[in-house]
Amino acid sequence: MIAITDLQKIYRMGDVEVRALDGVTLDIAKGEFLGIMGASGSGKTTLLHMLGLLDIPTSGGIEIDGTDVSLLNDHEKTMFRLYKLGYVFQDYALVPDLTVMENVSLPAMLRKDLTEKQYHDASIDILTKIGMLDRQDHLPRELSGGQQQRVSIARAIVNKPDILFADEPCANLDTENSRMVLDLFKEINEEMQQTIVMVSHEDWHKEYFHRIIRLQDGKVISDGTTGTKAH
Amino acid sequence: MGKKELKVAFLLALRSLQRGSRSSVILTILIIGMCFTNMIFLPGLFNGIGQSITKQVVDYEIGNVLVSPKSGDQYVSDLGATLSLINGMPGVERATPHFTKGATLKYRQRILGASVRAISPNDEKSISPLYTKMIAGSYLGQDDTGEVIIGKPVAGDASIRQEDEFQSSLGGVRVGDSITIDYGNGYVKDYRVKGIYFTGWSQADSAVYVTSTDMALVDPKAVDNADYITVKAKPGYSETFIKNELIQYGVSQKVQTTSDLLAKSMGRALQSFAIINMVSLIVSIIITTVVLFIVITIKTINSRRQIGILKAIGVDKEVIMHNYGFQVIILGVLGIILGIIVTLGLAAYMAIHPVVTPEWSATLYITPMDLLVNSVILFCAAVVAGYVPAYQVSREDIQTAMRA
Ligand SMILES: Nc1ncnc2c1ncn2[C@@H]1O[C@H](COP(=O)(O)OP(=O)(O)OP(=O)(O)O)[C@@H](O)[C@H]1O
Ligand SMILES: [Mg+2]
Repeated sequence: MIAITDLQKIYRMGDVEVRALDGVTLDIAKGEFLGIMGASGSGKTTLLHMLGLLDIPTSGGIEIDGTDVSLLNDHEKTMFRLYKLGYVFQDYALVPDLTVMENVSLPAMLRKDLTEKQYHDASIDILTKIGMLDRQDHLPRELSGGQQQRVSIARAIVNKPDILFADEPCANLDTENSRMVLDLFKEINEEMQQTIVMVSHEDWHKEYFHRIIRLQDGKVISDGTTGTKAH
Repeated sequence: MGKKELKVAFLLALRSLQRGSRSSVILTILIIGMCFTNMIFLPGLFNGIGQSITKQVVDYEIGNVLVSPKSGDQYVSDLGATLSLINGMPGVERATPHFTKGATLKYRQRILGASVRAISPNDEKSISPLYTKMIAGSYLGQDDTGEVIIGKPVAGDASIRQEDEFQSSLGGVRVGDSITIDYGNGYVKDYRVKGIYFTGWSQADSAVYVTSTDMALVDPKAVDNADYITVKAKPGYSETFIKNELIQYGVSQKVQTTSDLLAKSMGRALQSFAIINMVSLIVSIIITTVVLFIVITIKTINSRRQIGILKAIGVDKEVIMHNYGFQVIILGVLGIILGIIVTLGLAAYMAIHPVVTPEWSATLYITPMDLLVNSVILFCAAVVAGYVPAYQVSREDIQTAMRA
């Protein structure tokens, strides 16, 4: 599903060079629920950005579903993100001028394969699941961090993307809500063979992952399957 | 761009205007509205002045077409034949001669120079609304002799002392009074003032009118000669049509339309009007363009992160660009609507309270076409001003935008 070869990302700021990713090679299979762990600054977000086509690697290749993404132009990348990918940002990244409902349905509204009723129903459905339906007409600034995070998750999965990238989606949630989110991820992963790549700090999240890779200084230092079975 | 993309762009635009700074939206609309008003006000006023002068020249001086002596002649001669020829032509409402003599008016101790216009009252009614402008007494009868009607400024006001008068007058003539007209060459005649009129057109108001019949007694030349013939066109017939027709039918005098004459006499003034109009148009367009450019640029700079987010979740750059485009369109349309309301309000106010000078009075003359043309010009300027920054910002890469 996703093939990453010798991925490098170097940030240059004046004389200082930060190797955020330093030769990552990785294959992610379809239907896999992958956990990425590692210390702060180890390159987790950077890796996810590259995979989510939000940034361009310094060198190395990414192939998703057989497509070499470096060959896509701006518009094609946008369409790729719209139809195939879902992304939960570490800082939620909700659109400040739009209500919860509008934020969640926005990507669905642009899809040519969905009718207004379809995406409306899907948005209601997902907001119900994450317990935010009663806040559907609120603006992001009227919500708590955890609530914004849940809305961001709803927006990422409402389109039922083939691949979901989630950057610490539970960072601001209590255990109860974290479980709810992880159960939701597990459900869509099992039902629809959706591939999920999730960054996490919490040890207990491991029980949901099929496989965990650990990053340190931009390198993969461990890669192993957990007891949890892939389907 | 499909329907869905446009719908999303419109939604984003609407939300940004609704949830962004209310005061900046209101101020922007206000500025566009004022620019629109500025664009249309001066030209409208100048048009109003032009229209009013034209109308008064047509009504009180020369009708739609003027037949004057061919060069070398002092009078239009062979009057009877020429008049019946012109009056028989299609499209001619009526043609009537004017014969004017300079004279001195005397009333009690006052003396005033004025021109005495000899008219044929019945025909004149078809050409000039003068007979509706009587403020005292009555209009001339067809064959009145020894009767005169005079303009209000000529009659004057008995309560104003001579040295305080703005314009010299006869110092308070009333209907029924007798005034003496001295035509020179020793020809002096007393007249009864039959009526006093006021038109607002100073040339007519500072003259006096007698009948042609009366003038024929004063100057026998008036029987078959005229200084000029004024021709009124029937509704729907253009001045040029009448003029060409007159020439074709063999009117051997000099034939000019009122428009030709006005263009000649007011040419310089019209040129200056055109320059002032052009300046006010260009200034308005520049202000609108610059204001909208700044407003949208600030908006895009303030929402770079939002633009990054939108791109990251799969919103195409075209949608983002049209989002700002729609914002400008909404602001522009609202501003133009405000401008139209203000302009029509001004026009309505000025219809009741025209700009009045001793020479003429004018209202704001604005046609639906003027409103349309100016709206389109301003709208285009607005769209250009909005799309330039929108285009630039929509092309920024996600990482740069999101970190902003
Ligand atoms: N835009 C950037 N410019 C310069 N350096 C950057 C940039 N983004 C990330 N870095 C650097 O790259 C390294 C990896 O950052 P990254 O955000 O991927 O870490 P992370 O593993 O997600 O950390 P955290 O757990 O704190 O979110 C860090 O040293 C960071 O300072
Ligand atoms: Mg991170």
